[in-house]
Amino acid sequence: MSMPIFSATSPKLPSLSPPANSHGRTLFTLRTNLSLRFKKNANFHLLVGADGGAATVQEETSASDKANVGSNGSPPPPATEVVADVAEGVKGFEDPRWVGGTWDLPQFAKDGKTDWDAVIDAEVKRRKWMTDNPTSSNNENPIIFDTSIIPWWAWTKRFHLPEAELLNGRAAMIGFFMTYVVDSLTGIGLVDQMNNFFCKLLLFVAVVGVLLIRKNEDIETLKKLLEESTFYDKQWQATWQEEATGSSEKK
Amino acid sequence: MASITVNSLVGLRYSTAVESHSTAVTVPSHHRIKASKSSPTPRVLLAGRDLKVAVVGGGPAGGSAAETLAKGGIETILFERKLDNCKPCGGAIPLCMVPEFQLPLDIIDRRVTKMRMISPSNVAVDIGRILKPHEYVGMVRREVLDSYMRDRAAAAGAAVVNGLFLKMDLPKEKNAPYVLHYTDYNSKTSGAGEKKTMEVDAVIGADGANSRVAKDIGAGDYEYGIAFQERVKIPDSKMKYYENLAEMYFGDDVSPDFYGWVFPKSDHVAVGTGTVTHKADIKKFQTAIRIRAQDKIQGGRTIRVEAHPIPEHPRPRRVLERVALVGDAAGYVTKCSGEGIYFAAKSGRMCAEAIVKGSENGKRMIGESDLRVYLQKWDKTYWPTYKVLDLLQKVFYRSNPGREAFVEMCGDEYVQKMTLESYLYKRVATGNPLDDLKLVVNTIGSLVRANALRKEMDKFIIV
Repeated sequence: MSMPIFSATSPKLPSLSPPANSHGRTLFTLRTNLSLRFKKNANFHLLVGADGGAATVQEETSASDKANVGSNGSPPPPATEVVADVAEGVKGFEDPRWVGGTWDLPQFAKDGKTDWDAVIDAEVKRRKWMTDNPTSSNNENPIIFDTSIIPWWAWTKRFHLPEAELLNGRAAMIGFFMTYVVDSLTGIGLVDQMNNFFCKLLLFVAVVGVLLIRKNEDIETLKKLLEESTFYDKQWQATWQEEATGSSEKK
Repeated sequence: MASITVNSLVGLRYSTAVESHSTAVTVPSHHRIKASKSSPTPRVLLAGRDLKVAVVGGGPAGGSAAETLAKGGIETILFERKLDNCKPCGGAIPLCMVPEFQLPLDIIDRRVTKMRMISPSNVAVDIGRILKPHEYVGMVRREVLDSYMRDRAAAAGAAVVNGLFLKMDLPKEKNAPYVLHYTDYNSKTSGAGEKKTMEVDAVIGADGANSRVAKDIGAGDYEYGIAFQERVKIPDSKMKYYENLAEMYFGDDVSPDFYGWVFPKSDHVAVGTGTVTHKADIKKFQTAIRIRAQDKIQGGRTIRVEAHPIPEHPRPRRVLERVALVGDAAGYVTKCSGEGIYFAAKSGRMCAEAIVKGSENGKRMIGESDLRVYLQKWDKTYWPTYKVLDLLQKVFYRSNPGREAFVEMCGDEYVQKMTLESYLYKRVATGNPLDDLKLVVNTIGSLVRANALRKEMDKFIIV
């Protein structure tokens, strides 16, 4: 299906190739002009709607990222049909265990109990498929799966424990090494170190560091996060900064 | 300069400096009155005339500002360049706007009582089950709403000028007037309109996201997003589905930082999407939303395509001397939902109220401090709302796992109650702390699960 869109400055409707009638797999193309400049008195000929300015962008603004606005006026014969082609003819996600818009748990039974890992795997596969093949949401087959039906311990066992093991391992190694270093420098043994405030502080820093910084990029991410959390506030306060710094500004 | 008619006001100029304009102005004797209770600096009594304020822009912000000013006894001129303008807009108004602005029920085309949120993997959740029978989200046509509010302002005593604001000369001395240059479309001279000027004491800039008033006062820029939508006329059988339902589609394919929507209008639907960070790809996103909604809009006919910038945050400067910005011109669009109509109308009203109070019903000249009263009241009343929505956007809109979690959370009744109540009545809903704690725990749970699935997805390669 093609949506005819024409430039604002031309008063005539360009004759665009008629949309092929939409049986079968018409490709869905949009012919557009990005960065359309509007003259102040441009006339938009719309089939419906008397408005002459579909986008209210003034003419002197930069054209770079103005979305195209035009209309698809078409001459009296039928205007274009909306026929979007379902991605590559694939109808929707299909899997024998996916029934009625959710995972059919009895099908995941193993030794009389539900195999939650398999459910998680199946959902992962489905989400991956959906990301790669966006399909239409359908009223007849609504998807109602909720991840909270998978019990918390299944998630913990699969995702939390391996990572916890990793982090605890790191913390333990760092802790042992630091204790050794402090002991060799100051002669204070492990038990006495735990009674010292400064050592406890170091321990705290080490644990927090292991938790928050897992990759090199995390340091940058954390800094940006801090700035980001107050950015919106600063934008709102901007108008008050002026008042504080001086009396009325003359242009 | 022969073609410019200087619309001068007797008594407007107080300075004794010689004016270069031709019209003779009698400078009346005026008194420096002691400071009134409302402002710290002495306010000049306007002898023999009312305060004259221009409202530039006749949308919800301008219309409500002009009405409040006119009712407060101030001489109001409302400039609107296009009286039948069909501004591209979602058109949703919260329930509280109807009584607060006394809107007649017949300007509401549809009452939406159900919102369907669709996650990136097409999990569909309906919110609205908890709405009481009299509660709804009103869908309006902007041309209907805007002209209604303008007509009401005119009935209250405002003069509506069909003209395009060009620019404004800032005053050189204290209490000197602002000179507005505009093109009057009503004049009998020619179709292109006649250039005119007008002198006013104060200006309210309600001229939208590309505000010229904002430019003239050097208000600074804001980040803005592009909202793009197509109006599609779908067959009646499909239209019935949207009788009182609106849809929001989430996903990286539809928008990397916002959402796509299908909103019902009077007899057609608006299918659109928006983005701030990837404006150049807006067409791709529009294609994606059409694919996602395809089953429901198949066989429809696109009758209109439109787009508009949407401000993301307030401009650095919203007030300068006796000029104030309201509505989109000031940048009062919320994050997360992108709602602007109610806040535009409310800010127009609040600003006008501050002017009425500061000028004591038009008897005294106002100053910047009176306009800052409006800013203070605005920031205090609505800051929590804006902040919460910003937080929601930051947490839930930035990645597919976040969006999946968001849709999942919306299935919870407590969440629905909280969000709908705060949306419909524009007050930060207070809930029971135990439920709030449960909500936080559930949110974290949802986010963790969605992110865990995402990590697995990255490892997974579909054969």
